Amino acid sequence: MNKTWNQKAWLLVLPVVLLVAFNALVPMMTVVNYSVQETFGNNTFFWSGLQWFEQILTSERFHAALGRQVLFTSIILLIEVPLGVAIALCMPKKGVWVPVCLVLMALPMLIPWNVVGSMWNIMALPDIGLLGYFLNEVVGWQFDYTQDPIDAWVTIIAMDVWHWTSLVVLLAYAGLVSIPDAYYQAAEIDGASRWAVFRHIQLPKMKSVLTIAILLRFIDSFNIYTEPFTLTGGGPGNATTLLSIDLVKIALGQFDLGPAGAMSLIYFAITLLVSWLFYTLMTRNDP
Amino acid sequence: MRRLVRLALLPALVSGAAHAQQAGWGNVGQQPEETGFDWTRPLFDGFWMAWTPATLAVFAGIFAAMGVLTVLEIRRPGGAPRDGVLGLTTTRGDRLFLTLLGTAFIFLGWLFLFGQPVWGALALSIGWGVFCFWKV
Repeated sequence: MNKTWNQKAWLLVLPVVLLVAFNALVPMMTVVNYSVQETFGNNTFFWSGLQWFEQILTSERFHAALGRQVLFTSIILLIEVPLGVAIALCMPKKGVWVPVCLVLMALPMLIPWNVVGSMWNIMALPDIGLLGYFLNEVVGWQFDYTQDPIDAWVTIIAMDVWHWTSLVVLLAYAGLVSIPDAYYQAAEIDGASRWAVFRHIQLPKMKSVLTIAILLRFIDSFNIYTEPFTLTGGGPGNATTLLSIDLVKIALGQFDLGPAGAMSLIYFAITLLVSWLFYTLMTRNDP
Repeated sequence: MRRLVRLALLPALVSGAAHAQQAGWGNVGQQPEETGFDWTRPLFDGFWMAWTPATLAVFAGIFAAMGVLTVLEIRRPGGAPRDGVLGLTTTRGDRLFLTLLGTAFIFLGWLFLFGQPVWGALALSIGWGVFCFWKV
């Protein structure tokens, strides 16, 4: 077989390569350089070897932040993925309500992240916030996310579910509407139950979009910063200090660029490994 | 006679003071002049990216490996896919990725469990790389 080789595509990829080089590769290389050195400012650096990595890996503070981060991401994935698929299954496939549902679903994702944090911050305040006041005065739950760690966790999880379940819904819905009617007709002739249709037709057909949804939600929730920072600022105490919040505290609060560089690389390695594992396991049996 | 001796000693005193200034209190706070090559000294003084020969070598190694893979891909396209012992179908690029990712975790794991020095981690990483390109 004679195949014509056309190398012009490389030219089209060039702008992306340059963009990635400047917004990812150069900062990444700088972080690697910082992670093995000590600086007191003024662009003067002293070699410190792997000392910062050792310090971060054995610090209680890092273990605690990593634990909180893993817990947060696990809860987010366990809620958002099934909920998103369920909502997508309930959405109409034809008719005038389709665009209405799609726009309603897309709305939370259009709001800037810091605005989402501020909205939930005000809404959940126990004295003046609609949600906080309602929970305290009507439901009778002594709710105060500024004082109680459990309440703070409930609030940041509710905020993330509100903000990002739509992404799973839209992706799952795109997978669902791409299933040809013939599949459903065949299932009806065979007398398949609702569950069997979901298990053997809808779920396999949604697999590729769900892989993307789970990957995006994992990466986004594992690297989340803006919303919980605006909502709780990592508090009360350190209760909601996730990895990224702790990292910014070390890098910009304490100006410890060396340990912050080492922590960034460990953080990046964990994200990369888990993303690779997710992707490999979910696409392993694909043709 | 004494005056003559003093006059004779004067040049020696002056030169001694100059020498003292150069070698001693005139150099307080100044770094000793460094000569020779050092892997860990900043490559470009005052540059914000803070390159050292050691970190530059790491990136040069990674980019060289990617370059070798590119040349191989041009000569023998397709990435030489195969089913490895981990049950994965891997190409040459996958095997390099696994080698680098595994190496990062071997070093992090070693630092967490045993601390420095990391010669053991280096040996394990080389073994892991050989295993990746041989069996995975």
